[in-house]
Amino acid sequence: MQPQESIEQFGYRQELRRGIGLADLVFYGLIFMVPIAPFAIFGSVYFASGGMPVLAYLVGMVALLFTAASYAQMVKAFPLSGSVYNYAGRGIAPPVGFMTGWAILLDYVLAPCLLYLVASIAMNSTVPQVPVWAWLIIFVAVNTVINLRGIRMTVTLTKVMIAAELAVLALFLVIGVWALLQGRGREFSFSPLFNPDTFSWSVVFGAVSVAVLSFLGFDGVSMLVEESTGGSAQVGRAMRLALILAGALFIAQVWVAALLVPDPGGLLAHPSDTAFYDAAAVAGGDTLSRIASTATAISWGLANTLVAQVAVSRLLYAMARDRQLPSFLAKVSVKHSVPTNAILLVAALSIGLGGWMSTQKDGVSLLGSLINMGALVAFVVLHVSVIVHYTIRGRSADRLSHLIMPLIGMAILIFVVINANVMAQTVGLIWLGLGALVLAGLYAAGRWPALPDLTVPERSA
Amino acid sequence: MPAAKDTFAAMNRLPLPQELYLIAHEPSGKPLVHQSSMALGLAGAALLELALSDRVTIARGRGIVADGTPVGDAVADGLLPLILRDRFGGDVKSWIKKAAGDVYDRTRGSLITAGVLTQVTKRRMGVLSQTRHELADMAWVVRACSGVRSAVEGREQPDARCAALCGLVGVLKVDAALYLGRPSSQLVGRLRAIAGENSPVVQEVVGIVETLINEAAIAVYR
Repeated sequence: MQPQESIEQFGYRQELRRGIGLADLVFYGLIFMVPIAPFAIFGSVYFASGGMPVLAYLVGMVALLFTAASYAQMVKAFPLSGSVYNYAGRGIAPPVGFMTGWAILLDYVLAPCLLYLVASIAMNSTVPQVPVWAWLIIFVAVNTVINLRGIRMTVTLTKVMIAAELAVLALFLVIGVWALLQGRGREFSFSPLFNPDTFSWSVVFGAVSVAVLSFLGFDGVSMLVEESTGGSAQVGRAMRLALILAGALFIAQVWVAALLVPDPGGLLAHPSDTAFYDAAAVAGGDTLSRIASTATAISWGLANTLVAQVAVSRLLYAMARDRQLPSFLAKVSVKHSVPTNAILLVAALSIGLGGWMSTQKDGVSLLGSLINMGALVAFVVLHVSVIVHYTIRGRSADRLSHLIMPLIGMAILIFVVINANVMAQTVGLIWLGLGALVLAGLYAAGRWPALPDLTVPERSA
Repeated sequence: MPAAKDTFAAMNRLPLPQELYLIAHEPSGKPLVHQSSMALGLAGAALLELALSDRVTIARGRGIVADGTPVGDAVADGLLPLILRDRFGGDVKSWIKKAAGDVYDRTRGSLITAGVLTQVTKRRMGVLSQTRHELADMAWVVRACSGVRSAVEGREQPDARCAALCGLVGVLKVDAALYLGRPSSQLVGRLRAIAGENSPVVQEVVGIVETLINEAAIAVYR
């Protein structure tokens, strides 16, 4: 297919203006992933990886590059600004699409909750007088008002936020490397990449199941396919570029931070939500630590929640529009041009679940694992969609792109899922079971999943 | 086209986009809905003005120009060149989206030209300059609302134009401007039903405007 292939053959019509270039798509992917994402979960990744966070991020990046390749294939086949829900529904069958959408809902719906929690912990580390739960309420309230007023990211604001986050990262790297050269922390070593004392594949894949959180959002680029000046081919390139860029940045920052960890033994014994800020304090004192935590709070709690809210609203809207979720979730406010119910649902969930998680010792880690579980299951199905759509149905001769790469990507992700947090696996299975019940209910009610007509509408002259 | 202009004058009514504009604004000029929703509603109204004047034929989401002569309304006629230069394969959704770009300014401009609105510049807190487009005479709004109110109350059988206005008022959810004292959900349902019962073209265009308003609310970038 050509980059500018029509979406009309899939029962939809071109809606969104095509005006976003490659750089803007990459920036959008980066703002969704947050270039300084490891600041917040460094402690959990360090703990889970046995002190090898660099390896965890490297394996995570490779795994998701395969996923990005499968995304690129499905975006090419179905250039719709949907999500994996759309691709699985069309590539395999609508009920599979429903279950995949249900799985990734776990990611999309819980993501804002995690973002608020991380931002609150970061702010609490800067202003400890205000408890985490109070910061959580403040972040949810501020964001809900912003979202309900119809304010959202613009292309310019995306660039400004990326520049600010990169500036903070550069500051940390420069001061961190300078501190290491001055003899603070530990001397340079490859142990954050490979430590024979703690290495095992189960440890690595278990750590990837945590680290992969930092990469989630790269798939958000697919939402802009209808606006992309280069169509689906450009979206595929942007996903790969964003992943590689983010991966390189993540690896650089966790390598430096791992060498600055003040008490490696303690962090290996107990994960800490403030481990990165503690490492930053070793290099640049309280000032750098506070800059890092404030940057995390703003990027996670404001910039990323804005784009995450759009993503969850779009998924809820698409599934509700296709009568696979209650119709009230597709309701929008005409007055403010916002998806009111989706925003309020996310706010209520974030206050309830986020508040509860803030009282748990490993709340961030558990919430992150749940989000990853939803995304990873959905990504596995995405790989299956490529194989079914191209190799089985389309009898494609391109074995590398349409069979071997999806199979490798799927195998890595399955290993990651198998080695993930047991609690996350249990909750993930319960969530999928619940989805199966809802699906059975839809069938019983005669509302079996269906996507808009795939036939080519007649074109006028 | 003077003859067509005379038609609007003889009916003592404004064209559809202008009537919708008046209903969807407070007399002080403050809009009752978000600008993107408003623009899509006005663009739908302009297209319906052309369709109901037999200039454009619409069916199953596609449209073609049946008669390229102007209808005498600057806003609706402004849509004709866009449709004639169509690069969207007759896709009505694309027409409405494209037209929504400047339809608000065009509608407001035509109302100023007709003397229905007056431009007023005030200073807020004595410093910030603010321009509002206030209603010159309430009678225009009363007239715009009267057909819709009669249709909702069942006092008159609505014609296609009135049904179109009912549908768009329902989609934009500016029913409060009708002062009918009924619950909004009930009123919106009734307005949509009137649009649906009258003409397939009205039903289709109103439905497309509603879909576009929903999609604008979940757009990544505005």
